[in-house]
Amino acid sequence: MFKQILYTQWKWSRLTLLLLAVVGFAIPVLSVRDFGDPSAGIWEVRDALDSVAAWGYAYPILAAAVALLLSVTTWGPDHQGRHVYALSLPVPRWHYALLRFSAGVVLIGLVVAAVWIGALVASASASAPPGLHAYPQALALRFALATVVAYSIFFAIAAGTNRTAGVILVLIIAIFVIEVVSLLAGIEATPTSFVLSHLVVWPGPLAIFTGRWMLIDV
Amino acid sequence: MEHMFERIDPRSSTPLYAQIAARLKVAVAAGELSSGDPLPSVRQLAHRLRLNPATVVQAYRELEAEGFVEMRQGAGTFVRDVTPERRGRERAEHATRLVRTLLADAAKHGLGREDIIKAFDQELGVKTHE
Amino acid sequence: MSNAVEIRDLHYRAGKSFEIRDLALNVPTGSMYGFLGPNGSGKTTTIRLMLGLLPAIKGTVTVLGGRVPQESPRILARTGYVPEAPHLYPTLTVAEAIRFHASFYATWDAAWAEELRGGFGIELDRRLSRLSKGEMGKLEMLLALAQRPELLVLDEPTDGLDPVVRRDLLTALLDYVSQHNATVFISSHLVHELERICDWVGVMDRGRLVAELPMHSFKSGIKRLRVGNAPALVGDAPFVVLSREGGDGAFETWIVRGWQAPMTQWFAGVGATLKDVVDLDLEEGFVELLRTFRAPRA
Repeated sequence: MFKQILYTQWKWSRLTLLLLAVVGFAIPVLSVRDFGDPSAGIWEVRDALDSVAAWGYAYPILAAAVALLLSVTTWGPDHQGRHVYALSLPVPRWHYALLRFSAGVVLIGLVVAAVWIGALVASASASAPPGLHAYPQALALRFALATVVAYSIFFAIAAGTNRTAGVILVLIIAIFVIEVVSLLAGIEATPTSFVLSHLVVWPGPLAIFTGRWMLIDV
Repeated sequence: MEHMFERIDPRSSTPLYAQIAARLKVAVAAGELSSGDPLPSVRQLAHRLRLNPATVVQAYRELEAEGFVEMRQGAGTFVRDVTPERRGRERAEHATRLVRTLLADAAKHGLGREDIIKAFDQELGVKTHE
Repeated sequence: MSNAVEIRDLHYRAGKSFEIRDLALNVPTGSMYGFLGPNGSGKTTTIRLMLGLLPAIKGTVTVLGGRVPQESPRILARTGYVPEAPHLYPTLTVAEAIRFHASFYATWDAAWAEELRGGFGIELDRRLSRLSKGEMGKLEMLLALAQRPELLVLDEPTDGLDPVVRRDLLTALLDYVSQHNATVFISSHLVHELERICDWVGVMDRGRLVAELPMHSFKSGIKRLRVGNAPALVGDAPFVVLSREGGDGAFETWIVRGWQAPMTQWFAGVGATLKDVVDLDLEEGFVELLRTFRAPRA
């Protein structure tokens, strides 16, 4: 059962997934571009670190993209058929959802592996001055966790009916709009920002996305 | 063998199993099937006629109950020895059935005894009665 | 268990106008049960409720001895289902769809699936979205049969298919039934098709089951009579008059239910003449039955 579910999910997402894996490999490699010269002075090192930090924004975006892609390709065909096929199979609904979720996690591993390999290659090729260290494993692990968290959220949304998914999306957009408007209007504390700060600051579930993603750091 | 069942009519009010059994009885009575001959397997006949296998089984069981065939576990269904008297009786019953249908039809259309007899004479080429 | 499917007091509602009420249905184990009814009468909905694809508001559904939906997975493992519209993932190929489906059923017969596929002439590498209606119908039947189920639920499996494909499907179905003791529940518009293979018939009309009885009872019981000097009132007749129509000069045409041969004497008793007793086939009987449920009694 799992093997077949994994196969179908791979078939439905493989092209985009491979593309995202290539991107996942490229980000760490590109982020250490400015660490070429071993005799660099302190200002060059500072600039290089800023470059790493700047590239760091790409990781959470990639994580969200992978999570979104996998959730959509997981549930797309079922939604199209109004879940009739899955409901007629001799497995309980929760078991079927679990199989699909697990298959998605396995596929996430592919992109995580690409990020990890890219990070290893980047750490090896970059000549970091003494006092700075490379953290390829930590980076890859953080990326893996972030993707799985995002996937869980998108998966849960996609597993529901089209109506629930729509409602949740509208809610997210509404929160986003409120935040932007209050930012522009100079309003400090809104109810939405209260909710958001609890989600985004540790131990909130979205904390893993915030902060800096540094392959090379002190 | 299947030509025998060409006119099986699912729309008739006679149940299908009875139609099949009747055909086979006539075949035995007329000598088309001799004792010891195997009938087609249930599966084969159901497949050929595109009928519910249970219908074929019912037909065979009825024939077995009336002593025409014997169902042997694992081997199939075979025609039994049928005495000439029994054959004769079957033929007579079949002929009676045909005549009954004919007469009922004739009555429906207002045809009388004279019309029927005249037609018989013509078709058979032999004078029957005055 | 004597009934493969038992439905009691089923209530379901969808929207304002469509409702299934007080539905009771029995499918005897080992029978071939034909499910008839006009479009929109609720046949597909009943089938979906039977398999737990829709939630009932009230009532009990017991399939193969287990309650639906509480024990659905175990029941579905022993039930082959051909839905009224294709329900497989359209982007898969035939080979992939078969492999996917097979992985869920412990009783899957791979050799026979392959034999059926070859016999049906469906190529392995065709995408499902590119299959013709007939090929898709054959594939759905293949998947339901190769699972070697105890119960087959077929929702208009031959609808819209040409006679050659219909014949192939029915032959495969009958072959399966003759080798395994399976119960078949089949709904169809092609009444004559059901007439040759079903031994039970259930008639659905506007959300209610209006008749359920053995096939031969249904057929033998309904007759068309030509009656001369028909009496005005028929209160004490031993049969049920479903409809009467005049217009043929001296004769009326009656459709009656529960007819038996000795009842001809009743006509003499009321001074009428019975000119003709005609058998109705299943389609005519079905149409007459529905007419009486819709028109006010004469």
